[in-house]
Amino acid sequence: MVKHYQFSVLTDDEYSYHYIGDRVKEYVKESGVTSGIVTTVVAHTNCGIVVTEPLECIMDDFKVLLHKLVDNDAEYSHAHFLPTYGRTSANAYGHLRSFLTGNSCIFPIQNGNMVMGAAQEITLMEFDGPQERTVFVDVIGE
Amino acid sequence: MVIDVYAFPGFIKEICQDPERVEFRRQQYFLYKQHVWPMELFIKQLNAAGIDKCIISAEDVTTRAGDTIVSNEEVRTLVDLQPERLIGFASVDPQRPDAVGVLEKAFKDLHLAGLKLSPAMQHFSPNDFSLMDSIYQICLKYNKPILFQSGMTWVKDSPSTYSRPVLFEDVAMRYPDLRVCLGHFGWPYIMETAMLLLKYPNVYADTALLYFDSPKQFFHTTFNVQMGEYWIDRMLADKVMFGSTYPRIEQKRMMGAVDVLNLRPKQKAMVLGGNALRFLGLEEKENG
Repeated sequence: MVKHYQFSVLTDDEYSYHYIGDRVKEYVKESGVTSGIVTTVVAHTNCGIVVTEPLECIMDDFKVLLHKLVDNDAEYSHAHFLPTYGRTSANAYGHLRSFLTGNSCIFPIQNGNMVMGAAQEITLMEFDGPQERTVFVDVIGE
Repeated sequence: MVIDVYAFPGFIKEICQDPERVEFRRQQYFLYKQHVWPMELFIKQLNAAGIDKCIISAEDVTTRAGDTIVSNEEVRTLVDLQPERLIGFASVDPQRPDAVGVLEKAFKDLHLAGLKLSPAMQHFSPNDFSLMDSIYQICLKYNKPILFQSGMTWVKDSPSTYSRPVLFEDVAMRYPDLRVCLGHFGWPYIMETAMLLLKYPNVYADTALLYFDSPKQFFHTTFNVQMGEYWIDRMLADKVMFGSTYPRIEQKRMMGAVDVLNLRPKQKAMVLGGNALRFLGLEEKENG
């Protein structure tokens, strides 16, 4: 059995993070799947999904790391008008940070529950907000 | 007070109930993949950019395309949802037979704060006074400013023949009490715009221009290299207003680009909002 779900998150700022694990757990319960896996995928290319301990200090350190690795104002090629959009792109740093985090995660389902480590949380990372972000949740199992 | 004078509201969800109308906007405004998003998100974007108020404008292309892209009534609807954050400008196609009535209604009944005209999109010359005198006179009667698209627009079938900045000199001379803004700084004819700003007290321009590179790089090239890097600070600080051309680019990026300009704090405050208050006729009210 496969059950598909999706939901939206309105992010608040240029860079922000949002804990979404509880939402995913609810979908697992709703699906009726007792044994299997659940995938969480964000449907965009300038934000990401990470699994981490939900501590503000860790999130602050992660922000520092990402900004060290990816400068906001480097001489990026991705800074020009896009005729197929009618818009100008100038968000290379968001795409590059997204490369580093990836855009998905997988967790097991046992006895009808999503199984996580005690310190783990699914976190939506915004790298070019505020935006309306769509998250796909797929529950696969029996 | 930070005011964005140049934004297009056509993809805010609260006026996007009709999918055909949204698609018409995408095609007419050359924003083919633009998403629809809720007012709540637009306000978050303003907050993230540090913008206090935003002018949103209608676009009337009735004689060229058969409809408005955004109507005056739709602008009123949006302003009513966020009256502290949004300032609504009307649009009228000067070539429609009922143009005078449409504009009178926009000012008298809808209480919109100014007029947006797009000569290139609407196919008229701003100095064609046989067509435009009645429009300009209504703006004077209601003490409303005009925000003109000038220079290049990305929109198809919109030749810059109609919107070269020098064409607006006749308007500035004929109507010295009419406040007009040359949108996009009249790019690529920026020297013509600079000349008009220098010479005519009633002419303003905005920073809603982005045609190459990133906003910061393009502002540097335009305002620090092609123009003298101190021209705005020393001579034009009371004439240039912040504009973003949203949603062709995010407002936060255009706000960041203003930092590239060599502006002292007082002059920067004027560019970011003080001049817009004067352009809108709100300066005394705000100060009083």
